[in-house]
Amino acid sequence: MADRGETVAGATPPRRRRKAGRAEARAGVLFALPWIIALVVFTLVPLILTFVIAQTKFQIIGLPTWVGLANYEAMLKDPAVWTSARNSALYAVLSVPIKLVLALILALLLNRVTRLAGFYRTVFYLPFLMPAVSGAIVFMLLLSPTGGPVNLILGALGFDAPDWLRDPSVALWTLVLLSLWPLGVETLVFLGGLQNIPRDVQEAAELDSPKAWHRLVWITLPLITPMILFNLVIGIISSFQVFVQAIVIGGTTGTPAESTLMYMVVLYRAAFRYFNIGYAAAMATVLFVVVLLLTLLVFRTARSWVYYEGESR
Amino acid sequence: MAFQVSIPGGSVSRRGFLRGTAATAGALMLPGRLMAQDLGPLVEWLPGGSPLFCEIHTGLLAGFAERGGFSSSETVCGLGQNTEFNQSLIGAIASGNPPDISMLWDSPVSLGAQGAFMPLDEMMKGSTIPLETWPGGLLASCQFRGVTYGLPVTAGIYTMWFNQDMFEAKGIPTDRASFPKTWDEMRKLSKEFTVWDGDYLQVAGFVPPRAVEPMAVWSALNGGKLYDAANLKYMLDSEQNIEMFNYFLDWLNEEYKGDVNLIDRSGNFTDGYPNTTTGMGPAFRESRLAGMQSGSWLMGDFYSDPAPNFQRWDLAAHPVGPSGSATAAGIWPNWFVIPVGSKNPQAAFDYLAYLSVEGVVKWYEQIPDVPTNSQVKAKPPASLVERRGQEFADSASAFLQEQAAIVTPMWDSPVQGFATDQMTRAMEKIYTKAATPAEALAEAQSACQTELERVLAG
Repeated sequence: MADRGETVAGATPPRRRRKAGRAEARAGVLFALPWIIALVVFTLVPLILTFVIAQTKFQIIGLPTWVGLANYEAMLKDPAVWTSARNSALYAVLSVPIKLVLALILALLLNRVTRLAGFYRTVFYLPFLMPAVSGAIVFMLLLSPTGGPVNLILGALGFDAPDWLRDPSVALWTLVLLSLWPLGVETLVFLGGLQNIPRDVQEAAELDSPKAWHRLVWITLPLITPMILFNLVIGIISSFQVFVQAIVIGGTTGTPAESTLMYMVVLYRAAFRYFNIGYAAAMATVLFVVVLLLTLLVFRTARSWVYYEGESR
Repeated sequence: MAFQVSIPGGSVSRRGFLRGTAATAGALMLPGRLMAQDLGPLVEWLPGGSPLFCEIHTGLLAGFAERGGFSSSETVCGLGQNTEFNQSLIGAIASGNPPDISMLWDSPVSLGAQGAFMPLDEMMKGSTIPLETWPGGLLASCQFRGVTYGLPVTAGIYTMWFNQDMFEAKGIPTDRASFPKTWDEMRKLSKEFTVWDGDYLQVAGFVPPRAVEPMAVWSALNGGKLYDAANLKYMLDSEQNIEMFNYFLDWLNEEYKGDVNLIDRSGNFTDGYPNTTTGMGPAFRESRLAGMQSGSWLMGDFYSDPAPNFQRWDLAAHPVGPSGSATAAGIWPNWFVIPVGSKNPQAAFDYLAYLSVEGVVKWYEQIPDVPTNSQVKAKPPASLVERRGQEFADSASAFLQEQAAIVTPMWDSPVQGFATDQMTRAMEKIYTKAATPAEALAEAQSACQTELERVLAG
């Protein structure tokens, strides 16, 4: 009898099953090992080192000296940190939702395209492949107040062309504008979600409601909420890490009038211009904690608005 | 655990020590004859520059290495300017694999004070390039607390430039000696050229200075200084500096409608190069700006794209401010250092001694970076002779070397990059009238002095 431990014909003996399970687990670990080693060496160790270096005075050459929380105290008194934190938060608040809405609109349009769909997807993804520095320089030339095509067109249409890069009240919006250009990844994620909506659900929705707007709000959007969550989290993280466009446009001082001074620029200049690695590590630690808290907050609220297919409520 | 070995003239890391021990052991096993011939490669890093710049340095180092018994030499060019280059260099030093020699387009003081570069004083004693062969103002930018961390082999010299054709058209004397001697004279002369079309600046005489790096020169011209290296003290909000910016603002209000944005929207009136962010051409080369402050390096690029629409220009000494008493010049550094961990420090120094006096002659013939060692007898750049004739080229070259002798101390702070950013911020506030000169400079002064004390505290 099976419950006495006798072998049942056709079934694997428990001991052999356990053995096979262990071997499988070992193989799994072995296969995952390269990734685990890379994670430890390139992510975990640097992360822990960052926390440690943040409590030292370290200028790359020479040995670090322990200063405890002095770098964090200095951060509190540094006006550049506060200015850049405010700018980065404002940038995130403006760029993330606008980017999500535009990417969603683009994905909805691409989802309806039947001819040349691959071509359009490639076209919208291409800007993402362009180096950020080149993209920023191209935008600077396009938005030049004298001879830039954007202002020439606005002028010809009778609009008062703004000074995109020199007016402190406009420059941050210019950075936001730049962030909207490479929408490819977000759009593809939304498109993947849209194409995964079951055909029968769509047909049932069409029968229930002839209005496209209603179908979008009550059927489509709820079904792609996991993609919205993904894009939202990634968007928040990357918006706080905006660097290349900011430093190309505003330099290390965030011109004009520190309006483009982002948190990552202040962090970078502390590390590699002022060689104050301990301070930069403290800034990185604070950024890590803030982004982590924001991400946790989003995940916490996600329980009430993200719908996973097959999930019961 | 940290492991450092002190040797005369510097220290080596554990890695360097082990490498040195291994090399010595290996060398002992080699026949003496072979050992004397092969000293390994001599490696030099350059921050940037044109292909010609790289070619000249590659040739100079290769020639020296061959004569000195090195198996090979390597000149690594174009590693990025200033911050990016410093980042690479400091990374190489920290990881124990620096070049033997490096050029810096920055102050050696910031990194030297942290122990990144070898002190050169001992090696300079009894060499062909002792301390007294260098202009004091230039050497000051390589020294910190009496220790020399670099050599000012050639310099880009800041002087005044003026368009002789524009001067002549107005009946103004075009010789160097007649150039305005004071700011008041310069401002008065400027008005004769400046023409507005509504809010568009068609032509300007001179415009109030706005570049940050040469601001130390303008301060010196008004009897002040931005930083007092001897006393380790910033002096940004001194009376002379506040007066200087009030003077420039007054000038801006009187001649340029009080708005720097109107100037910037009308063209590039700040230097002799095209503006890379707006795509606007240089007003000076377009005969829309009668005079400006610029560096000697412009002589090498002046006739390249965009070509100037006039032929005759000249250089002149800086005019003196209301509280100043003597003219002064400024520099952009082309300094050389020997990083700590260099595998061939003595050979690196010998190369710098050769470069400073002999190699620099070949360098200057092709690129107008002014040799600064007093023993150099260099011919003017060939391109300048070709364009303006031997007499003018000789005169301009001699003038630049005179100016090198009166360079005001600058680039001499251990927190140079930080101070440059603070001054950029302060000047932006002043010129956009977001703060008065006294307020903006006081804020920058406080930040710079605090940062200086923090760095020095270790």
